[in-house]
Amino acid sequence: MQEQTLDCLGEACPVPLVKTQKALEDLAVGDVLIVQIDHSCAMKNVPEWAREAGHNVEIEEVDDGEWEIVIEKAK
Amino acid sequence: MREKTVEQYDVVIVGGGPSGLTAAIYCGRARLKTLLIEKSLIGGLATYTNEIENYPGFPDGTGGLQLMELFHKQAKKFGVKIKLTDVKNVELEGDVKKVETFRTIYEAKAVIVAAGGRPRITRATDEERFLFDKGISFCATCDAAANTDKTVMVIGSGDAAIEEGMFLSKFAKEIIVSVIHDEGKMDCNEIARDQALANPKMTFVWNSMVDAFEGEERLERVVLKDLKTGEKKPITVDTCFEFIGYEPNTEIFVGKLNMSKRNYVITNERMETGIPGVFACGDVREKDLKQVATAVGDGAVAGVEAEKFIAETEVFRNQILQTERIGLIYVYSAIDAPSRELLPMMREVEEAYHGQVKLNVIDQYKGKSLCDRLACDVEPMTAFYTKGGEVVEISSKCDKRSVMEMLNTLVQNPIEVVI
Repeated sequence: MQEQTLDCLGEACPVPLVKTQKALEDLAVGDVLIVQIDHSCAMKNVPEWAREAGHNVEIEEVDDGEWEIVIEKAK
Repeated sequence: MREKTVEQYDVVIVGGGPSGLTAAIYCGRARLKTLLIEKSLIGGLATYTNEIENYPGFPDGTGGLQLMELFHKQAKKFGVKIKLTDVKNVELEGDVKKVETFRTIYEAKAVIVAAGGRPRITRATDEERFLFDKGISFCATCDAAANTDKTVMVIGSGDAAIEEGMFLSKFAKEIIVSVIHDEGKMDCNEIARDQALANPKMTFVWNSMVDAFEGEERLERVVLKDLKTGEKKPITVDTCFEFIGYEPNTEIFVGKLNMSKRNYVITNERMETGIPGVFACGDVREKDLKQVATAVGDGAVAGVEAEKFIAETEVFRNQILQTERIGLIYVYSAIDAPSRELLPMMREVEEAYHGQVKLNVIDQYKGKSLCDRLACDVEPMTAFYTKGGEVVEISSKCDKRSVMEMLNTLVQNPIEVVI
């Protein structure tokens, strides 16, 4: 069970989503990926995709306009 | 399994719609460490509404999303922490309540359930396949523009259905409305009905309900069933809008909170659920009018009650049930003269024991909830005796002799009873 951080700060859509999808491929079930974003559109499409794919998702606003999307790979 | 992290809060609010945000504003302003958990979008169902014309303070109207952003900003200003995630489980009994997400267990002194509701669905065949972005919508405001010059169906005949249907007629070329009632009968108000019947773009299928949804990737046809003849008729549409009411988001609270038949949470007017320290507010409650304005009122009450509950718990634990000395708790009532007149005597008794006894007096009239914590239905003129923070004796004999005799059995150095 490892935890990995993916830095997408300063990156606009769809880059964070593509990076997230790629990073999750290399993880095992139960691992956690923390995606750092500051682009509000990624705040929508990354969690939406992850939830649809069946993973557990939690979003935390770490600063004004800066979020961490925590994704636990579920399958 | 990964060990979940545990975090402590004063108040955890489940749900980030108007009532949850208002409760959060009150709790945050009362300097409580407050966490609000929302599973999808801050603002809840209010964000589905394009125009809010009846929320006081906005004479030119405002948008749901816009208004909720202001609520959100205000909650953040008071230091409320917000988490966007789903609550998986709750444990509400006891002093420490637990609200669990997939990574964390949040422990709280008080929990406010503001989980709201969601649009009801028809449960017709294959409905799930087309929900939200695949052809079945619950929000005309959101999806009207995408249906410009298209054919849409509206399910329902309440105010929401007919008003949204008329709004859609500004975009779509044809609106077919499926109504469960006989011809001419609708659940909406009469003005809306007359306008709808006169709208050239709107046609009505009376005595009908949805039997099935059909299509490949996207919705293509809605099969309507005639309730009188049983005949099934497929109708080709681009989008189907369902406006058949709401249901509460209370699945995780079933069996834990008192609920109505339709699974709405039952509270009193102080938003208390029956479990001490657990409150419910907003659309999740069993109540009549569900508006942003009523949700705000509920939220304010729940926030203040939660704050009171936490403050009282502390008073009760640290003062009333202090552990250093033998405790004498005298319950009187300010409006009951005989019980009031014993107060000076009780003080004398406390002094006579030279620091061995700690007296606490509770006015039953003002401190009803403190009395409730001691025992149910406490009458004025009742004495409680405690040792090490536990009630060891309850007595309605409040004359000086009885009180001192009882205290003598508890203290280390008994004193002579002088009347």
